[in-house]
Amino acid sequence: MIKLILCRIFTLPLILFGVAAFTFTLVALSPFDPIRAYVGAETGVSKATKAEIAREWGLDQPPLQQFFTWLGHIVKGDLGNSRLVAGRPVLEVIGSRLGPSVALVGCAFIAVLIGGLILGTFAVMFRDSWFDWCVRSIGYVMTAAPSFWVALLLLQVFAVQLRWLPAGGTNDLRAPTSGTLDLRYWILPVLTLAVTQQSWFTLFVRNSLLEISREDYVQFSRAHGMDELAVLFRHALPNALLPFATLIGSHLGELMAGSILVETIFDWPGLGNLAQRAGLSADLPLLLGITLLGSFFVIAGNLLADLLYRVLDPRIREPLE
Amino acid sequence: MAPLLQVSGLSVRFRTPYGIVRALSDVQLTIHSGELLVVVGESGSGKTVLADTIFRLLPLNSEVRGSVRLDGKELLTLSPDAMRSVRSRSLALIPQSPGTALNPVRRIGTLLLEVARARGLSAKEGEEGLARGLDEVGLGWDSISRMYAHQLSGGMQQRVVNALAFVGTPDLVIADEPTSGLEDDLVDATVAQLKRIRGRGAAILVITHDLRFAQKLDGQIGLMYASYLVESAPSGIFFALPAHPYGRGLLQALPEHGGIPIPGSPVELTALPSCCVFAERCSVRKPRCFRESPPMYPVDGDNHRARCVLYAESERNQ
Amino acid sequence: MKFIINEYPSVAEQTRRGILHRVPLRVAVAAVGILILGFLALGAYFIRPVDARSVDLQRVLNAPSFGHPFGTDEVGRDLGIRLLHGLRVSFAISILAAIVAILIGGLAGLVAGTLGHWVDSLFMRIVDFVSSQNHLLLGILLVVLFRPIMGGAAAIVLSVGMTHWTTMARIVRGELLSLRERPFISAAINGGANRLRLGWRHYLPHLLPSMGLGLVLLVPHAIFHESALSFLGLGLPPHQASLGNILADGRRSLLAGAWWTSFFPGGLIFIVVLGIGTVGEYLRDLLSPRWRSELEL
Repeated sequence: MIKLILCRIFTLPLILFGVAAFTFTLVALSPFDPIRAYVGAETGVSKATKAEIAREWGLDQPPLQQFFTWLGHIVKGDLGNSRLVAGRPVLEVIGSRLGPSVALVGCAFIAVLIGGLILGTFAVMFRDSWFDWCVRSIGYVMTAAPSFWVALLLLQVFAVQLRWLPAGGTNDLRAPTSGTLDLRYWILPVLTLAVTQQSWFTLFVRNSLLEISREDYVQFSRAHGMDELAVLFRHALPNALLPFATLIGSHLGELMAGSILVETIFDWPGLGNLAQRAGLSADLPLLLGITLLGSFFVIAGNLLADLLYRVLDPRIREPLE
Repeated sequence: MAPLLQVSGLSVRFRTPYGIVRALSDVQLTIHSGELLVVVGESGSGKTVLADTIFRLLPLNSEVRGSVRLDGKELLTLSPDAMRSVRSRSLALIPQSPGTALNPVRRIGTLLLEVARARGLSAKEGEEGLARGLDEVGLGWDSISRMYAHQLSGGMQQRVVNALAFVGTPDLVIADEPTSGLEDDLVDATVAQLKRIRGRGAAILVITHDLRFAQKLDGQIGLMYASYLVESAPSGIFFALPAHPYGRGLLQALPEHGGIPIPGSPVELTALPSCCVFAERCSVRKPRCFRESPPMYPVDGDNHRARCVLYAESERNQ
Repeated sequence: MKFIINEYPSVAEQTRRGILHRVPLRVAVAAVGILILGFLALGAYFIRPVDARSVDLQRVLNAPSFGHPFGTDEVGRDLGIRLLHGLRVSFAISILAAIVAILIGGLAGLVAGTLGHWVDSLFMRIVDFVSSQNHLLLGILLVVLFRPIMGGAAAIVLSVGMTHWTTMARIVRGELLSLRERPFISAAINGGANRLRLGWRHYLPHLLPSMGLGLVLLVPHAIFHESALSFLGLGLPPHQASLGNILADGRRSLLAGAWWTSFFPGGLIFIVVLGIGTVGEYLRDLLSPRWRSELEL
């Protein structure tokens, strides 16, 4: 078991290498001028400085060597300097914004979990009732709703019309006047992300539970007189939720994608917002850095999910000797 | 003595997209305490549906008519709560495929204790009862309880669920194919175990397609074909000379009796004829058999009945 | 309170599922809706687009009224006409982008499936990797990299194509693997057919229906991707405004209380995605149910 975990952890650098190679290839294939990226459009930069930068980043070398030079820089933690944020190192800029993004995605994820469990379970318990129909229909419809539209609608209703919640715009996550965490700024962004991601999880819980309730062991526990609620919690739910672990990985990516849009709309001080602004000003080092980090998270998430599944399912954890 | 289980006029059908499936038609049987009834038939004859009906665990698309009385109480009209209490206190099930009947993500010990608790035993009593029950089937509590279902062989899984019949004091034990996957010596052990349970005063309903196992049990035989109960006879009499042509056909199909299969193929349960259900394949059929669906006629005293016109009064006298 | 979790589907569910030759109401509605919108979008080619002359500073940010059923935007233009053109642009770009994604994916899958062995393994690794990435982030990177040379529209098409080709690739490869087992193919191989020629002449005709279905299912994704990029300001230029651009404009007026400037553009995107998605899923269930896991929305 430990062997397995270690094995997985060792593949991580390999995968990161693949990620780096992939992004580098993209940049190399593009018509993008790297010097422009690293230096900016400033005309005041002298030819000598430009040449020096070119040398340091290996821009005068053949592509393969360029790649390894670049890789060397990355491994040392040097991702270049961000033009957007006044020349600060990319790693530092990303680091400062990582926290809020993780917080946002984390909260939304928890909301999705709780909401999905409750709604999905109740939908199965009251199967074919109007409630179930509502959950299924709304869930289905919500998969098509663009997160940025939902965000704007919620903003419209809660911030503009009702004035219950602020419209966003915190630079750090604290309210402008007091120094403490003002949760009112959190509600709309988390709600938007959660609402748009909710449906797949709810439908998953519902369908999984329905399938499980046809299994023999569920029938068997009813046969010795267990009441439905106990059957649900002791037998149906645990087995129904098992495949969920593998799905986390694939949907984490979607959560992150959604966060780019939500952060932009609510001006959340996170990586998504940063990515958009980096894109607008064509700040390549920053954008590359965020992409690398994003890939890393997705892959790490997948690995984690895989490990989680192996740990939770006794059929894999303790196989037949 | 009043019967423990009395089933009369029981008909069960399922509404499916492919039509209406008749699973049980006009079944009538009786079991007294301490008796052993073996329901024998091919797969699809309705045996498991009978067990499901007694437990009231039929799917939503089922329609049930008739009466199932346990200890005088009509089970089919009980409230869900009352039925649950009947299941835990009076009934015990040995399920058909133990491999899938055991929750794969829970340890065996937890699962077994759950059943024991459901039957009203305290945790301590449960463990003791289970240890005894497992002992009866030749397994040890300490070694088994920490394992998971997938770590046991098919035979061991079967023995684990068989052990559950010994836990608590159920009035009626229903064993659905308790010898699947077991070798001959274990089949014999199962026969002994079931007789022991019977000796403790419980009534037993065994469902099986294994004729040899049925014979060894030495109880009352109930033969089913295409949703009908076609013959009910004491084991000795049945295996000597079955009254119903289907029974005779089954015995003749056994290797030691010649291995002659019954001609034709089983009937589609969505298209059962309104005449005798076995007429198509019967070797002694008459024109009358295609006109009417015979009721159960007495053959020889109270214990022996057959659903065949051969035993109608009019036919006998000829 | 029905506290029962039963194992067989209820009769209601069975009748709903069992008879697919009767098209469900929601699919019919969706199909009709999409057709209407499609015609409207085509019709937009004949309607004079909004331009500088439509700017009417007297009518800035009017709420929906009889004269302007969808209201006016922040420079007084009629939102309805803007939406019509936005719809046209969104459809055009998204369909084109989806076609590109299908072609890339189909080609890649075809190559991998015919060449086989290590090419195939490498291919699957790449597919797994790319498909697990964050579509939007990758999309942004691609747009930023290629926009300076290609222009907004082409960059978006490329962005969608390069992020969404994987589903088609997997499906094509899967179909190829099963096709290879079929007798007429092994006959051809035994006849000494060159592998690439095999791919072109024998496999392709069988794959075209799948690719068509894939196209229908991919368009909603393409629309979403394109709208998102445009909304973030990384998409089409203002004079080629798609629904995403219009929504971005609308966002600016939101704080002034003009709800219609964001409700209608976004709602239109929503309806189009929902409509095409519904029809596409129905077709998928009808024609190739085994793609369910691949092509969930």
